[in-house]
Amino acid sequence: MKNYFLERLRRLTPIFIQPSEVLPPADPDQVAEFSREFFLSGTPAFRLLYYALILVLQGLSLLTRGKSVYSLTSDEADDFIRSLSSSRLAAISAIPTLLGMPIYMAHYNRDDIQVPLGFDIFSQREEAAKREVKR
Amino acid sequence: MIIKPEDIPGDIRRGADVAIIGSGAGGGPIAKELAEAGYSIVVMEEGGYFTREDFDFRQDHAFLRLYRDAGQCVTLGLPVIVMPQGKTVGGTTTVNSGTCLRIPRHVLKRWHLEHGLRDITEEELGLLYGSVEEYLFVKRADPEVVGKNALMFLESSERLGYSGGFLPRNAKDCEGYGVCAYGCPSGAKQSVNVSYMPDADKAGADIYTRCRAERILVRSGRAVGVRGRFMDPRTGRKTHRIEVEASVVVLAGGALQTPSLLMHNRLCLSSGRVGENLSIHPCGALIALMDEPMHNPKGIPQSTYVDEFAPDGIMLEGVTLPPSVFAISLPWVGRRHAEVVSQYPYCGTFGSMICEHDSAGKVVAGPSARQPLTLYNLGPEDLDRMKRSILLMAEIWFAAGAKRAYTPIDGFKEITGPRDLGRLARTRLKRANVYGLSAYHPMGTCSMGTDPEWSVVKSSGETWEVENLYICDASILPTSLGVNPQLTIMALSMRTAGFIDDRLCEGSFDRQCASRIERLKGRLRAEKESIARRLSGDGTTPNR
Repeated sequence: MKNYFLERLRRLTPIFIQPSEVLPPADPDQVAEFSREFFLSGTPAFRLLYYALILVLQGLSLLTRGKSVYSLTSDEADDFIRSLSSSRLAAISAIPTLLGMPIYMAHYNRDDIQVPLGFDIFSQREEAAKREVKR
Repeated sequence: MIIKPEDIPGDIRRGADVAIIGSGAGGGPIAKELAEAGYSIVVMEEGGYFTREDFDFRQDHAFLRLYRDAGQCVTLGLPVIVMPQGKTVGGTTTVNSGTCLRIPRHVLKRWHLEHGLRDITEEELGLLYGSVEEYLFVKRADPEVVGKNALMFLESSERLGYSGGFLPRNAKDCEGYGVCAYGCPSGAKQSVNVSYMPDADKAGADIYTRCRAERILVRSGRAVGVRGRFMDPRTGRKTHRIEVEASVVVLAGGALQTPSLLMHNRLCLSSGRVGENLSIHPCGALIALMDEPMHNPKGIPQSTYVDEFAPDGIMLEGVTLPPSVFAISLPWVGRRHAEVVSQYPYCGTFGSMICEHDSAGKVVAGPSARQPLTLYNLGPEDLDRMKRSILLMAEIWFAAGAKRAYTPIDGFKEITGPRDLGRLARTRLKRANVYGLSAYHPMGTCSMGTDPEWSVVKSSGETWEVENLYICDASILPTSLGVNPQLTIMALSMRTAGFIDDRLCEGSFDRQCASRIERLKGRLRAEKESIARRLSGDGTTPNR
């Protein structure tokens, strides 16, 4: 993934992952690192679409909010992506869904996020390691 | 031997009796059968080889290592549908839920009547299914380990009078870790990577991993080998070359990759059927917010079913989602998304699978052989069926005590009870209103039949146009099965192995058909005895 887009992705992360009372905060570097691998292993078409959507998001922000998406306050940013998400035009409502995909996948894969959500990945891993099923 | 690219010092040029492209539900059984029959076998698998030690419960690792294009495969059309496929030793069986269902009788009858495939008899298929089921320890999911999500949904559906039950699965001593789709961490799921391929390996087959077949070599209308390239696992770049001269070539790359390879090799194209006739099983999921913790994703993700509306093309099958997949399934972003994700421990899920009636799709050549384009449009009747399946799941979850349900339908992202259900039932959906659909089980793109103008392969699996080129994967299924196809693919693969065995022994077609059933009966008896012997210690019965 190009550095320019990785940097945009880093800056978009807190917009998509709002602070939660029960979960640790987002780590933009971890999101960017996963996304780099995700796009490297994926299809070029999806990668290009994703780049384009980052630019479209910025364009829509300038058009509708009069400023860059990266300079919106937390409340403004949340309101902005929510308004896109609830658009009646599928082409618009799909933008935040698609942009959010690698961000959510990276963030919610973290062990320290899965455990408070009830998926005790450590104990499961330990248990499974001890238990090999042979044919 | 299972050979990794790092074990290969340079280009390879070798011979084999049979070269098999793909190591999934089609390639695995055929490799084992023919290797055990004494033939020299080469398997070329595009993905890497992973064992249970590599399966660490992490969904991100699984997507990057085990899935084609990191799980980014989609259909192009309305709506866009995500269609994940495995790309590893074992193919999609390594990352599926392990459900093993036989072909419904009415579908087989349709094959007989509409496609002339009368020589695939119920008796023969029954024997093949029996053999595969014994070998893979297929039995109904154990209610003790299916998990709260599955039990709660099933009990609620029973209270409403809907028929359903526990699904048969290819798992031995499954403890329900809930991560079938990310590689079974205990080795309980008898996917091809832990069953057929290791046995093929023991019988002498050479399995080249990260090896992409590029060219099928044909001389005088007869397949004579395969040429391919190894891929660097880190960069994805091509490294050494491989050329295998073989008496028989088997294509088992799945219903998307197989037609793509044929198209790029300009083979078998005269009927115009390669890539056509694609059928898939579009799937939706419903998330329900319950009052009590659901202990997600513990349990067997796909362990129960509701088949009350199967005759109408709607099958409900269980699903549980780990946190990251749950998060990307939600229709919200930002704060609302964070709120709903925090409800994860209290959420129940279930899935629906549609057997298509008026949807249409095909595979066309993409920019490269490995990246075909899948065109698919969901028809209005099937869209309505999808809506009905969502309504049905919501009804069952509400009857189980759900406070609200999250649907994949625009305008009905959150529904809270019967009033919303009524409103949704009365709404006429557009395809663009439905998002977040996934699809599984692509089939039919090189369908078998008795007419060379309307099919790509004969019922033996051999292509009409190229002698000794066989296809052995879901692409040969002439119609949608309406149920998970892995067992049928495996059974047909064993059938094709018999034909290849006969071809290599130069038997006549009539003699092949006459002797095959007798051979199968003998095999089934032997297999049952061997498995009974193996299990006599722990008292487990391999029967369903």
